[in-house]
Amino acid sequence: MAVHRGKGLATVEYPTGMNQNGDPSQAWIKVKPDGRVDVFSGTADIGNGSKTVQSQIVAETIGVPYDWVTYDNSNTDSSPMCTGTFASRATFVAGNAVLKAARQVRERILAVASRELEIDPADLEVADGSVSVKGTPAKSMGVDEVAGAATFVHGELLTGDGAHLNPGAAIIDPTTGEVDKPPHAAISYAACTAEVEVDDETGDVRVLSLTQAYDIGRAMNPTLVEGQIDGGAVMGLGFGLLEDCYPYYPTAEHRGDGMNTYHVPTMAELPEIKNVLMENPSSGGPYGAKGIGEMSNNAQPAAIANAIHDAVGVWVTEFPITPERVLAALDAKSEGRSEPRREGRVVAFDEELSINSFTSAKTWGA
Amino acid sequence: MELTVNSVARTVQSPPLSSLLTVLREELDITSPKAGCESGGCGACTVLVDGQPRRSCLTAVCAVDGAEVTTVEGLGTPEDLSRVQQAFIHHYAAQCGFCTDGLIVAATAYVGGGGSADTGDIGEALAGHYCRCTGYVKILEAVAAVARGDTFDTASTASSANNTYVTIAGAES
Amino acid sequence: MKVVGARLPRYDGVGHVTGRTTYVDDVRVPGMLHAAALRSVHHNARITRLDTGAAAAMAGVHAVVTHADVPLLVYGHLSGAGIPGDEPLLAKDHVRYRGQPIALVAADTVDIARAACAAIEVDYEELPALFDVRLGFDGDAPVINDTFGNWYDQYEGNLDVRQIRKGDIDAAMDAADLIVSGVYRTQSVEQVPLETQVCVAIPEPDGRLTIHTCTQAMYFSLGVVCSHLQLPMSQVKMVGGTVGGGFGGKVDTASDTLTALAAQKSGQPVKWRWTREEEMLASGNRGPWHMEIIDAVTSDGWILGRKMLTIHDAGAYGRFSVYGLTKHSFHHTGAYSIPNLHFDGYVVFTNKIPTTAMRGYGVTGLSTAIEVHAERVAKELGMDPYEFRLKNANRVNDTSPNRIAYEDPSTVEVLQSLAAATGVELGDGLRAMTREQRSGDMLPDHLVAQIGSGGGH
Ligand code: FES
Ligand code: FES
Repeated sequence: MAVHRGKGLATVEYPTGMNQNGDPSQAWIKVKPDGRVDVFSGTADIGNGSKTVQSQIVAETIGVPYDWVTYDNSNTDSSPMCTGTFASRATFVAGNAVLKAARQVRERILAVASRELEIDPADLEVADGSVSVKGTPAKSMGVDEVAGAATFVHGELLTGDGAHLNPGAAIIDPTTGEVDKPPHAAISYAACTAEVEVDDETGDVRVLSLTQAYDIGRAMNPTLVEGQIDGGAVMGLGFGLLEDCYPYYPTAEHRGDGMNTYHVPTMAELPEIKNVLMENPSSGGPYGAKGIGEMSNNAQPAAIANAIHDAVGVWVTEFPITPERVLAALDAKSEGRSEPRREGRVVAFDEELSINSFTSAKTWGA
Repeated sequence: MELTVNSVARTVQSPPLSSLLTVLREELDITSPKAGCESGGCGACTVLVDGQPRRSCLTAVCAVDGAEVTTVEGLGTPEDLSRVQQAFIHHYAAQCGFCTDGLIVAATAYVGGGGSADTGDIGEALAGHYCRCTGYVKILEAVAAVARGDTFDTASTASSANNTYVTIAGAES
Repeated sequence: MKVVGARLPRYDGVGHVTGRTTYVDDVRVPGMLHAAALRSVHHNARITRLDTGAAAAMAGVHAVVTHADVPLLVYGHLSGAGIPGDEPLLAKDHVRYRGQPIALVAADTVDIARAACAAIEVDYEELPALFDVRLGFDGDAPVINDTFGNWYDQYEGNLDVRQIRKGDIDAAMDAADLIVSGVYRTQSVEQVPLETQVCVAIPEPDGRLTIHTCTQAMYFSLGVVCSHLQLPMSQVKMVGGTVGGGFGGKVDTASDTLTALAAQKSGQPVKWRWTREEEMLASGNRGPWHMEIIDAVTSDGWILGRKMLTIHDAGAYGRFSVYGLTKHSFHHTGAYSIPNLHFDGYVVFTNKIPTTAMRGYGVTGLSTAIEVHAERVAKELGMDPYEFRLKNANRVNDTSPNRIAYEDPSTVEVLQSLAAATGVELGDGLRAMTREQRSGDMLPDHLVAQIGSGGGH
């Protein structure tokens, strides 16, 4: 009876966006007479940081400070259409919508400033809330002054609107699955190593560490990216070891009905988490962004399962990997029942779980 | 029944067996304690009762008659944030924010009671608080930083020590 | 760049740490009623009688909403993609999972609303239920879904299966030195947002409805509500965008339409906040996946082909499952280039909660299966797990299962980085690899035909 250590590896890829059926987001922006910028976007912030990231994209693109931007996603009367916050699409797709709207605003600021300064707009730039002449930074006027002039001198409203639509990808051959265009806006990649301790007496698995490398496209805000990746890692740990809506699956009995009976990871299960964040800008995302929110819980379950095999030599392929399943697998191993069927070139694992063991209504095999 | 809530004397009309959570939210319109589970399981409803963290969903209001109750509204205001509140901003310890108020209340009691900056100790003290968003990493960092006596710049956020950045060769721009 | 890429604080951070952020449950409206739902106690049963008379007559009850009150009872989540609806907003004559809503009561207090739910009389005729997806194909299995049968049968080309076929799987199997099969079963997971499903619906004097929503997708939910209520989008104002966690579980629009109906029927503002128990037992969750993988590999570690069977346990109704399975099929080679493919995927119905989106939808379980399988194959070959993965890792212009050329794959680079971060010494050959288009040793004959021409993502 002992505690065994093991390490396991997994690598994953995951799409940004859901172009299966087209995937639109829209935004519009107006500028107040003092140059402050109001963004209207229909993207819900579910904790992922849509409000923050989209405000940053707008501030960067127009050339004003972050705290000049207000962001309103509060209702469908004032905000245009956004498909929603899912499919790792909010930063990429809705981010592109506000980016396009902000570019228009910037053009209009330059057009008004050009008239005020009597300089060709191509020779002007906007940064930090002021419009200046390229190469002659002393000649400038504030965006607040530009907005004031637009309002009170030129009788114009500085606005911009933007829409981003990833065109819908159609399956052109349902027998082969061939599509006519990419069904995603970008793809991101990651790998994870889990280090575990397995108690062969109790079946308990403790994750000691998760070390991970993520292709993040480009971080709009690195702290928010880290937050997504840490949160995903712990959710992946829950998937790997703890969480099951149907503990007696496939039956629907004895379901956990609360926080005390359904096991979400707590601080007590938190392993050491180390991340390498790799910039690999996408070609179509705002400033090279990719969506990494969802994929961040995909690599840990397999890494943990592989680490358990490394530790105690058993494969558990039904999830979550509960102590009961670990003990059953250890029993099977000690009773010589855990080896796959090996016949010539064939190595067949888990035949007892296969649909072939349950029904003849679906024929399946090599 | 009489309560002192965030330093203000309040008279409570709700039935005596009402939960403190219901009294705060529905009678007194103090909405920072959240009804995450209403059965003691999540920590989102945590408030201080005479300085001690309590799950307001499991506390009958009659049991705390005369007590001093503090919610996150009483710990600091947007203009005058407490150190724990500043730390939660600077260390990005809140994502959706739904667990945050309970955690800030509990963390305030922890550091107020002289809790250490050791993440193991913090984890033990706050283990009953669920957060589904953050993976706890940055919550622990925030609380440890308060316990260490750090000061916080709330106009920026900190990188966690556990992250390194590289650019993939050929992807520089 | 200065603002993009900067470590700025959350836009809503101060609100979050001072208790000032207003979530739906924090919305205060004078005269607000509270709602509770009557839900099925059976997994599969016919409703032979539904009598709300006694409940409606109770003091403090202002509205009892049943199927008869819904202008369009069945509206499909994916109807925009041509996938028919199959799920009634409220059960009419049949319940297909335990927890399925049958009626919503709006009353002065939650306690009255719950008591009124208990006073609704329902007679059931219990029917045999089906839980194991592996048995759904049997001829004598109970029929679970009225619209589709026991598995979804309306893919393009009238197929009842989501297929991928690429290359020549039989030739790959013939040429293999080793054929390794395994079965992987991943579970159902609840999203567990700390904020449960909640809605406040307010009938406005001009006839419009204001709906305070916790949805992750305000316009999607606007469409769902307006479809069920048969209203133009001008008549409904969704107010939201500040959500206490979602993780996929708040796309379903689980509470908005019914709360709106209760508000319409009572003429008063109504709040419906789900209990944690309802959230755990009746809200859509991540669905289980049954995956069987057979890989044809060479003794020097190339994956020549993959045959895969996937059965997605969708629960009682379709919701987004067809979308999830399609996404799954597109990614069933994971981070690897496998030139010969034969994939069959089914969305199978069982008498469980209809499953829905959750973080990594369609792929989390798949990644799990693929990566345990990869580890097994590497071990069977006696090959280093990094070497096996790096060799097969997709590279620029390799093509995906649905024939899109990878634009900027970085599997090679993330693996190399991870090795460095964990102190794993890769051999010179593995360290020198890049994602660049295959050539030389990395371009054996069997991978030539699958190389695409770029331009994809
Ligand atoms: S609401 Fe009190 S502990 Fe969850
Ligand atoms: S921040 Fe969302 S639950 Fe903690």
